[in-house]
Amino acid sequence: MRVIVADDAVLFREGMARILTEVGFEVTRQARSGAELVRQVRRDPPDVVITDLRMPPGFADEGIEAAAEIRSFAPDVGLMLLSQYVEVHHALRLMEEFDGAVGYLLKDRVSVLSAFAADVRRVAAGHVVIDQELVSRLISRRRERDPLAELSDRERQVLALMAQGLTNAGLAEELFVSPKTVEGYIRNVFTKLGLHAGEREHRRVLAVLQFLRQQ
Amino acid sequence: MSEAAEATEGYAEAPPIALEAGLAMVALLVAALVGYGWALGFHLDNAHNGLIAASFAAVGLYVVRMRPRHREGWLLVAVGVVSAVMFFGRQYGRVAGPLPGASWIGWIGVWPLPLAIALFGWAFMAFPHGRMLSLRWRRAGVTMVAVAALMATMSALWPVDHDRIGLVSSHPFDLPGAAVVGRLWPYLLPNYTLFQVLWTAAVVVRLRRARGDEARQMRWVVYATVMAMVVLVTGLVVFGSSVPGLLAVPLIPVAAGIAILKYRLYDIDPVINKTLVIGFLVLVVTVGYVGIVVGVGALIPVGSGWLSLLTTAVVAVAFEPLRRRAQRLADRLVYGHRATPYEALSQLSAQLDEAPEDLLDGIAATIANAIGATEVVVWVGEETHLLPQAGWPRRPDPPESSGLGELDRGPHRHVRPVVHHGTVLGAITLRKPVGEALTPGEARLLGDLLAQTGLVIAQQQQAQELQAAARRIVTAQDAARRRIERDLHDGAQQRLVTMGLELGSLEEQAKATGAPELAARVRAVRSQLLEATAELRELARGLHPMVLTQSGLEPALRMLADRSAIPSRLTVALAGRLPPEVETTAYYVVSEALTNAARHSGAGVVTVEIVKVAAGLQVQVSDDGCGGARQGVGSGLQGLQDRLAAVGATLSLDSPVGGGTRIRTVLPCV
Repeated sequence: MRVIVADDAVLFREGMARILTEVGFEVTRQARSGAELVRQVRRDPPDVVITDLRMPPGFADEGIEAAAEIRSFAPDVGLMLLSQYVEVHHALRLMEEFDGAVGYLLKDRVSVLSAFAADVRRVAAGHVVIDQELVSRLISRRRERDPLAELSDRERQVLALMAQGLTNAGLAEELFVSPKTVEGYIRNVFTKLGLHAGEREHRRVLAVLQFLRQQ
Repeated sequence: MSEAAEATEGYAEAPPIALEAGLAMVALLVAALVGYGWALGFHLDNAHNGLIAASFAAVGLYVVRMRPRHREGWLLVAVGVVSAVMFFGRQYGRVAGPLPGASWIGWIGVWPLPLAIALFGWAFMAFPHGRMLSLRWRRAGVTMVAVAALMATMSALWPVDHDRIGLVSSHPFDLPGAAVVGRLWPYLLPNYTLFQVLWTAAVVVRLRRARGDEARQMRWVVYATVMAMVVLVTGLVVFGSSVPGLLAVPLIPVAAGIAILKYRLYDIDPVINKTLVIGFLVLVVTVGYVGIVVGVGALIPVGSGWLSLLTTAVVAVAFEPLRRRAQRLADRLVYGHRATPYEALSQLSAQLDEAPEDLLDGIAATIANAIGATEVVVWVGEETHLLPQAGWPRRPDPPESSGLGELDRGPHRHVRPVVHHGTVLGAITLRKPVGEALTPGEARLLGDLLAQTGLVIAQQQQAQELQAAARRIVTAQDAARRRIERDLHDGAQQRLVTMGLELGSLEEQAKATGAPELAARVRAVRSQLLEATAELRELARGLHPMVLTQSGLEPALRMLADRSAIPSRLTVALAGRLPPEVETTAYYVVSEALTNAARHSGAGVVTVEIVKVAAGLQVQVSDDGCGGARQGVGSGLQGLQDRLAAVGATLSLDSPVGGGTRIRTVLPCV
């Protein structure tokens, strides 16, 4: 699987390129900024891009801007954004503007190599990956009348994993239950919370994130 | 219902038909009495009754049609009706070869006179609202009416006032005691003078007490009355006729009507002022002319042509100084006397308590008031570069900046530098009315006021410097925090995640080379490392929330709300970004308020509202907790207050015990 890595910190970038190679990715190019990343993708589109969110020149959200541009001309390239902080409004933007095949993780996640590699592959395959810290922060938010109190522990777990972008099959695997059981849990969660979500997986993530933010 | 509300109450649309019909009946009655009366002949000594009847009734009816509850309007109507009855009675009773019932109808024209006078007086005393000044004045008025009623009764029963009128028929009654009453009557007549003294006193007292609208209303009527009297006296003296005075009578009810219905539309003051000036000049010029023509003509035998020339020259030379004096006198009479030095200084110290930004405007007004200047401008700055900071009157187009040397000195302008501790801090320029010099007393007073102005400017500059310093400190502090966050992000945090990455790789290798123990140890180290990065991340976020600079206030506040230990409701009504220091300050206000609420309030929910208002960004955080929060040294609020003061904002805290806490501030931003 072909990957382009973008980060302005050379040590991190090189290190990531090396370990990605170790676990079987082909790191075709490396970029130091959003603009450079866009140029490289134009020249030689990879399967997936792994990019830092905050990069030169403005150290703001250049990673997202670059990702949006890439999506506009190379819609098949998966986009994995890494950051020192994960912010809800960024996650919502990624879910709203990008039609799947997008991930948003804390940089720390790269240290659990196997899990990270799996997440990158999921993004390359068109799925959605949202950092668990962001999701757990939203779920544990203090609420006036907490609709989540209606949920059982298992349903709450299902909600969190859905928000992280897991598919039904992924959920079944993670929870060691059958896909049918998972569907039952999901139905319960959606009924109890009064949620409606589209068929598409990233629509479901968006609906859950929006719900968690608003309630 | 208050007097003012009652006085202004009218109908939104047309008055009710019953009232319209009633008023029309009264109007018809008065018109018929007066009209028929006129048709019966002209008698100069009765004409005033007809004029009073017509003018008072017309104005009074108009007033009550507009303001049905206006007591003064009804009083005017009453005066008009009584006068109309009297007028008609007297006219009818004087037609020769007596008309039918002349004795009785003539009688009706005579005896109500005392009542008519008392009613007129009452209307005068009760102007402009139709109410007496106080209970005491009301009692005096009632006494006046009682005396008038007694006199009217006597006049009705005995022919004491009958013969004076020139009626052709005799008094209808022939009761005994006519001689006694006839002798007593002359002793009662001075009561009319007493009535006049009473109502004049009432008007003077009211005029002195009246403020604002009421004072303006009073001046209308007093002006008209005085003018009518002047016309009457002038007519009697110059033409030997009361006709001009008679014709001036309607001025009074018309002025009263204007005062009641239109007092906000027209201001009588300039008219009074000009009248006084012109009247004085006419008087002086006439007296001077007559004096010269008569006096000089008697002493020196010159031709009348030369005399006229001389007189004209004298008048021409004396005219302008006289006019100036007359104008000053008139200004003093109409606009009040100028502040004495003591008043000026006490006015100034009273203003020192006011908002500092308005202080210089207050000083300008005080100087104008004390010196009698028509324009005052307060300039602030260095000797070579002065900016107009305040003025009286406030000008929509302030003058340009200027150096002290270039300030307009003009013929009636005065320029004084404001010096404090030997340094020029500003200047005051003022313009006196044309032809008025600065008297030594005014110059001394101006000197005192300049010293005070110096103190105020110096104090304002210190306050500004202090705030600028505080702002610099806060800005520097924010910049330092941002820099540290950035350094952490690019340095330590980056290194730590890179180390995590390497450890992850190491763990994989250990697993692959069949060293599970090593792999486990690497995993343990890695998880400690992740904890360290998480802690560092929170630390960096606390130093400066990157999301604030990156994405703006709303996402940053949402992040705060997500992390709040108390459920929060966040409303942000903003379009676009704001200046960085405003965003940062708003962020810290909310952050501190949420922390305080979580720590002390025991609230169930905290509401954050951010909205752009005209003055800036309004930040309000309220909770439903126990309240009782105090501002003061050591409280978290003190730090916030300092921070807010640096950007020119204040913190308002509303925290009654048991009633929740609300903090609010408006951050100035353009």
